[in-house]
Amino acid sequence: MSNNQQIFEDWLAGKISTGECAELLQHDATWLARMHNASALRADAARPEFDAVPQVDTSSIFANQWQRSKPQRSWWPQISLALSCAAMLISLSPAQLQLKDGSLTLSWHNSQQEIDSAVNKALVSYQQEQQQWLAQQLDFQQQNTSSQLILLKDYLQDELQRDQRSDMLQLVEYLNQQRQADWQYWQENYQPMQAGYRPTDSYYLSPTNTGAVKP
Amino acid sequence: MFKRSDENLIAKALQGDQHAWQQLVSRHQSSLYYFGLRLLGSKEDANDLLQDVLMVLCRNLGQYRGDSSFKSWLFGIANYRAMDMLRRRKYSDGDEALAEVADETPALAEQLVNQQQQRQVQLQLRSLPPEQRLVLELKFYQQFTFDEIASQLAVSSNTVKSRFYAALDKMRLQLEVDHVEQSANF
Repeated sequence: MSNNQQIFEDWLAGKISTGECAELLQHDATWLARMHNASALRADAARPEFDAVPQVDTSSIFANQWQRSKPQRSWWPQISLALSCAAMLISLSPAQLQLKDGSLTLSWHNSQQEIDSAVNKALVSYQQEQQQWLAQQLDFQQQNTSSQLILLKDYLQDELQRDQRSDMLQLVEYLNQQRQADWQYWQENYQPMQAGYRPTDSYYLSPTNTGAVKP
Repeated sequence: MFKRSDENLIAKALQGDQHAWQQLVSRHQSSLYYFGLRLLGSKEDANDLLQDVLMVLCRNLGQYRGDSSFKSWLFGIANYRAMDMLRRRKYSDGDEALAEVADETPALAEQLVNQQQQRQVQLQLRSLPPEQRLVLELKFYQQFTFDEIASQLAVSSNTVKSRFYAALDKMRLQLEVDHVEQSANF
């Protein structure tokens, strides 16, 4: 791109004024003439137009092309659904619609008394459940205690028998020891004295000598 | 009041809004008509072109993607249809058409200070080949950039500039010829 073309295009783009452009291009007749022609065209383009613009009816074309008839929409299904929902809501909710003395009243009939009775009912039910549970627990505890007492009794009986048996054995052993001691004492102290006048058939003769059986 | 953008009007029109479509048409139809009048030279042809372009626009409104300005896209259609009409009708660049335009508005024409100069410019424009005339029309009367013109005509920017300077040079020659003829008359 030549320098003059750049100057010319800057002028076309409005970056420099017509006077500046003419001054810069004054030595190049070609570009100066182009500028003059462009100025004449620009001035002509700036002139207002007075010819009446014909009206073109494009509404029918537009209607055929882009306007679609809206689908006929029936409201009956929606109305039916809405009424069904309303009926269900009324039947399920505690609301009451009353026509009384020419006035329509919408009320909710779960009064404080009904709330209290419902709460009491729930409390009684809870209390019964708790009592039943406590009775079960008590019964179970009693059964458990009695079984433990039986086990304790058996244990004590066993222990008692074992102690009695042990005491008897100790008593027998003690008696045996006493007898043995008595026997030894008798042998040591009285046998020699009695040996001289003991009859032959005396019981207290030496068992090894006579062969007699002790009583 | 805020002026709604072309894109907004197109979006409304595509939803079937007749009023938006009318607004869009009224916004651009005068420039389209004068474009046709200058390029084709007669009111009938300009009217035909206007109707033709608006019909094509209506059918293809949904194809506008917003890649360029709507006016540039619209004149892309108008350029194609105008060149097609020029090729089909073998338009002659005689002075009759211009005379018709000027003669039908004598009262208004008299009010113009530089009527003679305007007539001379119009005559010189008509003496140009259609492609060069179209480039000058789009550059000066529609005020598009070279890149926008190149996009509309589907040619390179250098080609547009080449046609533009060639047209200016021919006008210069024509001016010189007219000047010589006028001097000779005196």
